[in-house]
Amino acid sequence: MSHHLFLLSPSDTPLYSLSHQSTKQGASASSPLGANLPTWSTSPFSGRMSALAGAPNTAMQSAGLGGGAAGGQDRLNALRMVANASLDVLENVVFRDNGMYLKGLDKFNEWTVSAFVTAGNMKFILLHEGKNDDGIRGFFFEVWELYVKTMANPFHSAHTPIRSPVFDHRVRASAKRYL
Amino acid sequence: MASNVKQYKAIGEELWKGRSEKINAELFALTYGALVVQLIQDYEDYDEVNKQLEKMGYNIGTRLIEDFLARSGMGRCSDFREVGEVIAKVGFKTFLNITPGVVHALPPSPTPNRQSNPTPSQPSFTLTLDENPLTEFVELPEDALEGGLWFSNVLCGVIRGALEMVQMQVQAEFVSDVLRGDESSEIRVKLVKYLEEEVPVGDD
Repeated sequence: MSHHLFLLSPSDTPLYSLSHQSTKQGASASSPLGANLPTWSTSPFSGRMSALAGAPNTAMQSAGLGGGAAGGQDRLNALRMVANASLDVLENVVFRDNGMYLKGLDKFNEWTVSAFVTAGNMKFILLHEGKNDDGIRGFFFEVWELYVKTMANPFHSAHTPIRSPVFDHRVRASAKRYL
Repeated sequence: MASNVKQYKAIGEELWKGRSEKINAELFALTYGALVVQLIQDYEDYDEVNKQLEKMGYNIGTRLIEDFLARSGMGRCSDFREVGEVIAKVGFKTFLNITPGVVHALPPSPTPNRQSNPTPSQPSFTLTLDENPLTEFVELPEDALEGGLWFSNVLCGVIRGALEMVQMQVQAEFVSDVLRGDESSEIRVKLVKYLEEEVPVGDD
């Protein structure tokens, strides 16, 4: 079960991203769509994309067709598109809901998008398969703590991409524990 | 000698506890960090920033020594070795609540030089800071690392300013810094000369 985390600044610039392969057994890892197995390749993915004529798909399609052999990178791009698409939903929900942790925000094939919005309008987007609400909530809170510590660095502003290896290492450790 | 050290530690502890005005450490660290970042933006040259931090420290030190002597009531230090001990155990403890380790490096001759002498046979001591409240959350970006920024350079200035007010001209500089990836943060303080009673240089 893999997870993809994206940290977005208040102006929606991507500051940090992480892909994590979980070693834990997910609650329900299998999906009805048989081709969506861990060993993805670009062609079946883009094929499915074209089959479901959704708004974000057109861009992905071109990315998929253009990419061809670069399977992994395209998949990541596709996931980024999914994350971006969920931002619209996120804005709507944030308008209504006061909480920080927004679970099950958006669903795309078998990918669920959960989000965490801080008071400073910093968004943490997590793409995951299956259900793992408590683990994800714990993970988000830890990432939030780590992020606050990073923000305390005077050389860092709300829009600087986070390149600190310490932060990266800690987020990975946290991901291993919660996801 | 050992009893002196213990005495200084006790005095330092008492002074720290007795201080009624303390400041939140996070606020202190954030304020200093903002100051350094602003200096970097203004000067854009890390050497210049180091110099400015040292100058600021110098101004702080010349005033801080009065406060220190008034509160601690310490008398004259008998030799440069004692100066190092007092700075580390009483001075730093009173104002920052940290006790850096001291390592002395005295010249072979026991009497300190009375004239300014550029040869390496000058007494010096090295302060090793295991913790530094100024750098609580700080991580230096790459260009600061390459540019040679000493983040806590203000401390060197404070030491230089304070000692100048008690008739000692010293050179204080960082030799290593944890923020730069070194093992420990160390300040080396070298005695240049004892100042005779002169008319002090005007504050410009």
